[in-house]
Amino acid sequence: MEFTKKRAQVKLEIPTTSMPDIVFMLLMFFMVVTTLREVTVLVDFKLPEAKAIEKIENKRLISYIWVGKDKRMQINDSLVLLDEIQSIMYGKREILPNIIVSLRIDKGSEMGLVTDIQQELRKAFCLRINYSAMIKI
Amino acid sequence: MPLLKKRANRSAEIPTASQADLAFLLLLFFLVSTVIDVDTGIGLTLPEFVEDVETVEVPKDRMAAILINENGDVLVDGNPTSLFNIKNNLKPRIISKIELPITKKLIVSVKTDRKTNYNAYVQALDQVKQSYFEVRDDYSRNNYGSKYNDLKQGDQDIVKDKIPIIISLAEPEAVKK
Repeated sequence: MEFTKKRAQVKLEIPTTSMPDIVFMLLMFFMVVTTLREVTVLVDFKLPEAKAIEKIENKRLISYIWVGKDKRMQINDSLVLLDEIQSIMYGKREILPNIIVSLRIDKGSEMGLVTDIQQELRKAFCLRINYSAMIKI
Repeated sequence: MPLLKKRANRSAEIPTASQADLAFLLLLFFLVSTVIDVDTGIGLTLPEFVEDVETVEVPKDRMAAILINENGDVLVDGNPTSLFNIKNNLKPRIISKIELPITKKLIVSVKTDRKTNYNAYVQALDQVKQSYFEVRDDYSRNNYGSKYNDLKQGDQDIVKDKIPIIISLAEPEAVKK
């Protein structure tokens, strides 16, 4: 005697017609959040860590100043000297009046250098700054 | 006489089978090139640059002077303490001044040496900010029943007015060589 179970002939296919739609939705999301990296960072730095950290809501207002382990400074795509900061940042401030300067400074730097940069920023009227830091867990 | 030409019923469809593949390719590109790093850090507003600074006397109980030297030693109002104790030191003083008018609120001054490590400075600022945030949170919880960040805009402004963050960065002194 044979016991073959009779199964209903059900089609076991996942409908894939809506897959492109889903993929497009994902695509849209990533297209919106993407900010293509405009600059290559030329200096080597490690950010300090802190707990009381705020997020900067508006990325378009941010302008970066990098300071590396070897005390080199970078704005935009090029390395700059301390005396050049004022004029560069003043030019940037004229385009974006409420600019936020994010200082990405290596945690081993000396405060003297940081103060010098801050003085230059004050002279350029870039008063909103942000000490970039990683979140401490 | 209308001359209706009979057209053959040609099917004119664009094949959509590969659409998904194309979309995936684009998706992959954006996935790879996306950097979702929100810039985080400790925000601060610098004072305007003035040539000669006029010094204003501030009553001593209003000031909390934090001094960090090049070895990372910390003085708060002349008393040696550690970097991680700044918060405990400041919190009661901020709390005691909540109900006072804005002209009597605490001013935290952070002063460093030229040789001070940047990390120590950020840690100190972090401590100051933390103490303010914690006081704000406590105050909001006691008066409005939720954390500061969850408050309505209006209430948030009230709390902000009650507990403003006043950090004074010491004017750099002439460098001694």
